[in-house]
Amino acid sequence: MVENLTTDVLVVGAGPAGSMTAKWAAKSGARVLMIEKRQEIGSPVRCGEGMSKDWLKEVGIAPSNRWINVEVEGARIFSPSEKVLEINEKHAGNEVGYVVERDAFDKQLAIDAGNAGVDLLLKTAATGVIRENGKIVGVKAKRFGEPFEIRAPVTIGADGFESQFGRWAGIPTNLALRDMDSCLQYRMTNVDCDVRYCDFYLGKVAPGGYVWIFPKDVGVANVGIGVQLSQIHGMAEAKTYLDRWIAKHPGYAKGKTIDVVGGGVSISPPLKQTVADGVMLVGDAARMIDPLTGGGIANGCIAGKICGEVAAAAVRDKTPTKEFFQAYEKAWRARLEEKLYRNWLAKEKLCTLSDETFDKVVDALEGVKLQKLSVHNILKAVHEKYPDVTREFESFL
Amino acid sequence: MPGKKHLHIESSGQLCIYCGACVGVCPLNCVYLDETRITFDEKICTRCEICVKACPVGAIEIG
Repeated sequence: MVENLTTDVLVVGAGPAGSMTAKWAAKSGARVLMIEKRQEIGSPVRCGEGMSKDWLKEVGIAPSNRWINVEVEGARIFSPSEKVLEINEKHAGNEVGYVVERDAFDKQLAIDAGNAGVDLLLKTAATGVIRENGKIVGVKAKRFGEPFEIRAPVTIGADGFESQFGRWAGIPTNLALRDMDSCLQYRMTNVDCDVRYCDFYLGKVAPGGYVWIFPKDVGVANVGIGVQLSQIHGMAEAKTYLDRWIAKHPGYAKGKTIDVVGGGVSISPPLKQTVADGVMLVGDAARMIDPLTGGGIANGCIAGKICGEVAAAAVRDKTPTKEFFQAYEKAWRARLEEKLYRNWLAKEKLCTLSDETFDKVVDALEGVKLQKLSVHNILKAVHEKYPDVTREFESFL
Repeated sequence: MPGKKHLHIESSGQLCIYCGACVGVCPLNCVYLDETRITFDEKICTRCEICVKACPVGAIEIG
């Protein structure tokens, strides 16, 4: 028989957003319990493992060789005919900076949370919410298969792309087909990757998404693909497209696969609502993934810090209400929403481009030294060489 | 159920990699992943087949 528990702040899910929320709630004075359904934090990895680094300081993460594989210099974007656009690290989007060992990264964040006083239960899955007078006051859970209850004035849903918690809490998190990617990745050895760059291949090689090469070491790389659900039709399309891409690239066709990673990624506009009475959502569960890059770690951690601080304040004031949680809703939106929405619009446009147009865009940018990589600057550069290509993008200019 | 297609998930491990893509895309919340077992609630499932598309390795069949 497992005993029922009570805490101030309950965090469901011990990924980066969960650990970050838990840590900052504890540092702000709350009693925090974090539960994780798996037996091991960070494993199995479901991630391309590329991330930017400019946000780490903001949320209090110290870079460490325990989880950094490679520090890349920049990104290379390959058009369908494989014209190359090289982007300096400083000017690149979310996916450049470090290539990391995600399981080690997640464990480090859980260690930071534990050191801040967070209690942690593994092999503990939430199975539903407890409602009293219409308000959520905790979760029903199973620990090593045995049912019990955890009560808390504030419960945080940090349960990732598969999030059930938001739906249990009555927060709409459903996605349109065009706002979801199906992803598959092989970690390959004996490949001709360049450890200086994260590579992205655009166009019909990956309908609505891209193929990525993120170097883990000399000769070792994560070779992956995301394809948009509204642009695929049959079964196993992610695998079919990825295998086809690899077969056409001799530097990768000779590689040996040592790991297979799959998963879903949301590429949606921001949710309209991420809080309810007694409840906040954070990270992939709140659909905070960047719709253009598919990167979710930075946004999850940035929102997690805010979420943890607001959760602790709600406990202190005994006001775990939807109204009080507007402080979180407003703060994370002020920090992230504009870019999420802008990148969603850009994604929607990019998905409509033909391979020919992609070639023209990359060709126009080849040799152009951009001051700053932004949709606006790219379009300006393309406009100078191919005004016809940018005609339908005039709203962005 | 008469007239309804049956779901079949390849759950022997030959295809399924337990990534949970099907769980996240289900609009009705009727797919569950429990470590190395995926189950569908056939009573809720409407056979919309979004999970079939989302599965990166083609482990879900509705037939």
